[in-house]
Amino acid sequence: MLKLSNVEVKYADVILVLRGVSLEIAKGTIVSLLGSNGAGKTTTLKAISGLLHTELGEVTAGTIEYEGYRIDAMDPEQIAKMGIIQVMEGRRVLEHLTVEENLRLGGYIRSRDNIKKDLDMVYDYFPKLRSLRNSTSGYLSGGEQQMVVMGRAMMAHPKIMLLDEPSMGLAPLIVEEIFEIIRKFNTEEKSSILIVEQNARTALGASEYAYVLENGRVVLDGPSSKLADNEDIKEFYLGLSKIGEKKSYRDVKHYKRRKRWL
Amino acid sequence: MDFILSLIISGLMNGAIYGLVALGFVLIYKSSSVLNFSQGHMLLLGAYIFWFFRTAMGFNLYLALFLAVGVGFLVGILIERLTLRRLIGQPLISMITVTIFLSLVIEGFVSLIWGSYPLQHIAIFSNRCFNIGNCVLTAQNLYAFGLALTTALALILFFRYTNLGLAMRGVAEGHQTMQSMGISVKKILNISWGIAGMAATIGGIILGSTLGFQLGLSHIGLLAIPAAFIGGLESPEGAILGGLLIGLCESIVSGYIGNAAGVPAAFLILIVVMIFKPYGFFGLVKIERV
Repeated sequence: MLKLSNVEVKYADVILVLRGVSLEIAKGTIVSLLGSNGAGKTTTLKAISGLLHTELGEVTAGTIEYEGYRIDAMDPEQIAKMGIIQVMEGRRVLEHLTVEENLRLGGYIRSRDNIKKDLDMVYDYFPKLRSLRNSTSGYLSGGEQQMVVMGRAMMAHPKIMLLDEPSMGLAPLIVEEIFEIIRKFNTEEKSSILIVEQNARTALGASEYAYVLENGRVVLDGPSSKLADNEDIKEFYLGLSKIGEKKSYRDVKHYKRRKRWL
Repeated sequence: MDFILSLIISGLMNGAIYGLVALGFVLIYKSSSVLNFSQGHMLLLGAYIFWFFRTAMGFNLYLALFLAVGVGFLVGILIERLTLRRLIGQPLISMITVTIFLSLVIEGFVSLIWGSYPLQHIAIFSNRCFNIGNCVLTAQNLYAFGLALTTALALILFFRYTNLGLAMRGVAEGHQTMQSMGISVKKILNISWGIAGMAATIGGIILGSTLGFQLGLSHIGLLAIPAAFIGGLESPEGAILGGLLIGLCESIVSGYIGNAAGVPAAFLILIVVMIFKPYGFFGLVKIERV
């Protein structure tokens, strides 16, 4: 459905962020993209959604294909209309608008007749938002704002939803709730979902397939359950030692051991 | 008593027009954070275009009104498309500089075509007068007041209840966020400029028919700036109230202290309001969560 082949991204013509990323998302699956800070996860999402063009970034090599069309040179508005909606990192609510106004704008590209039905759908996924519908979104709590931006993306009935760090800065219970809703949305609406996460355990638990990104390259990929058993993933992303037990600080050397992937 | 009453009435009349022009500032500032210094000259151009359709072409009043407002919309769209569209993402100061000098270009254009002398007066409202106590209220002023307020009200309702209005408020909050939802920011900004051009034209027609069609009409743009700031640059309602306040204060001060003091008093109020309420009375305060 969506296929990235050897995508290279440069910012401002000089900063090379992605050095040939290839990944694939099949219809109706949840895929997670893991990696540490600066690995190029967000850039990958923005390359797909086209938002790169608003930040002086450009796909300089490779192709991004969506249902047979090349989308790497398209405007973000066009790509969104084709059904790829990105939920940006950092809970970007339109802060002076109410919850419902935010959601309405999410459905702006759809026909107006469906808006009531779509609002009801989002309120069914996030019952809390129904009671908050008339509050100013800027004053909501972090978890509630995350629900608003995800609900806003759902309003567009995306074929692929790109979620950038939905768990950032949220309490574990709320993270669990949000991932449950992601899974539910995936099975009920048949939308594919690409999740970028630092929280590897949760992301691997929710997804079917996963890619690990480091320094702008995919260094490892495979079914999530298999990756969760991988020794290196355990050590570097899940904080477990080889035997699968919690790592003791005594074993950690005073310098940081880094794994060379390639 | 009658004296102050007549001052209040004339103040409110002028104020409504200031408010309407200030609304043009708000429309553009809200969605693009650009203060359009050429708003007053868009008003001038609109007034002259109306005059052209009404007098030079001899169209009937309603047709001329309709055409002038239509052309005003196109002028706004054209200005955005040709100049500001190319400056998206550039420093704000360069956009603002463009609007300042754009105003001189428009003025040059107008005086090149129609000359720099006042044009033949055309009255679009009836000449009847009403008496309230001892003060005289002309039907012309009353209609002008009504038309300005109706236009303003229509715009406020448009902002609040239509999908396009909602999208404009959304664009004001974050361009990238809107793009991620598939909403074209360029298109929305373009329409905002069109509507601002329309509002300016309506203001120009009202003002031209009361003050005469002359180049000095553009000065009102200067007085609409304090109106917009006092109301808070993001609030259409605030712009109208700010306009009425500036109109009142200008007319009362010039009545009691002297004509020369009227305009400076309006700016003095602006300074005082800015010191105590930097966001104006209805401006959006940045939401900081703690």
